[in-house]
Amino acid sequence: MTPIRVGDIIIFLLAVALIIGSFSFYSTISGKPEVRVKSGAGESIYDLSVDTQATFKGPVGETTIEIRGGQVHVSESDCRNKVCISAGWISSPGEWIICLPNNVFVRIEGSLEEGSPDDTSF
Amino acid sequence: MTPRSKPRIEFVALLAACALFLSTIEYLIPKPLPFMRLGLANLPLIIALGLLSWKEYLLLALLKVLGQALISGTIFSYIFLFSLAGTTASILIMLLLYNVLKKRVSLIGISIAGAMASNIAQLLLSRYLLFGEAAKLVAPPFLIVGLVTSIILGVFAQQFIAKSRWYKGVQ
Repeated sequence: MTPIRVGDIIIFLLAVALIIGSFSFYSTISGKPEVRVKSGAGESIYDLSVDTQATFKGPVGETTIEIRGGQVHVSESDCRNKVCISAGWISSPGEWIICLPNNVFVRIEGSLEEGSPDDTSF
Repeated sequence: MTPRSKPRIEFVALLAACALFLSTIEYLIPKPLPFMRLGLANLPLIIALGLLSWKEYLLLALLKVLGQALISGTIFSYIFLFSLAGTTASILIMLLLYNVLKKRVSLIGISIAGAMASNIAQLLLSRYLLFGEAAKLVAPPFLIVGLVTSIILGVFAQQFIAKSRWYKGVQ
């Protein structure tokens, strides 16, 4: 007598279907890169491909970020050292700019393009 | 050996001890990722389906979860929640399948269904508790490993109940 019965095959096929279905998660999660800005007021999310400006209030004044041409930088900040402004433009997922005195944290999130160096360290 | 009716609590203790022994063995095996496990400790749970009443079965599952958490030192961490959620989901599915479709499904199918239920419960938990959307990324490898190991365990369990004299004696 073979131990495998009809139910086993149905359950197996359902499990395989579930696994195949679960691969679709990969396509939904790899969206466009987005800019996430964390400040004292909370977190804001911007589309990296839409040019815009935004100002955030912090302990020492205001910090303004600018998104232009798929890049983001800090254009103005009331902090003393202006390290955030010197950091310049960033454009790839995983990059970030931080303004410690004013408590503003800008980072880019999203999927990396295939073949870029950080793929392997994921 | 003649079938005995009274001291079935012995089987619960024996099977729970067996589950703990197998968990200890499993902790010796290196894992590529923390959540990728063989699930050896589920073997007694699969075999016990034909031996215990549902109350005894729940007790066995509880002993397994608590015992594993004690052995691995995770009883007061979030890992305990994962273990509890996974085991609860899988035993409910396995009990249901075993009792409703007894004739149409073997322990192999039950093992697969149990593993999938456990994996889905744990993925949902990690989705809402720990990692957010990123939990989806581990879903495919997690489910594939679950499927493969559960088939192996199911085949073993099926062979065991077909061949074991101990099983025939206590059934």
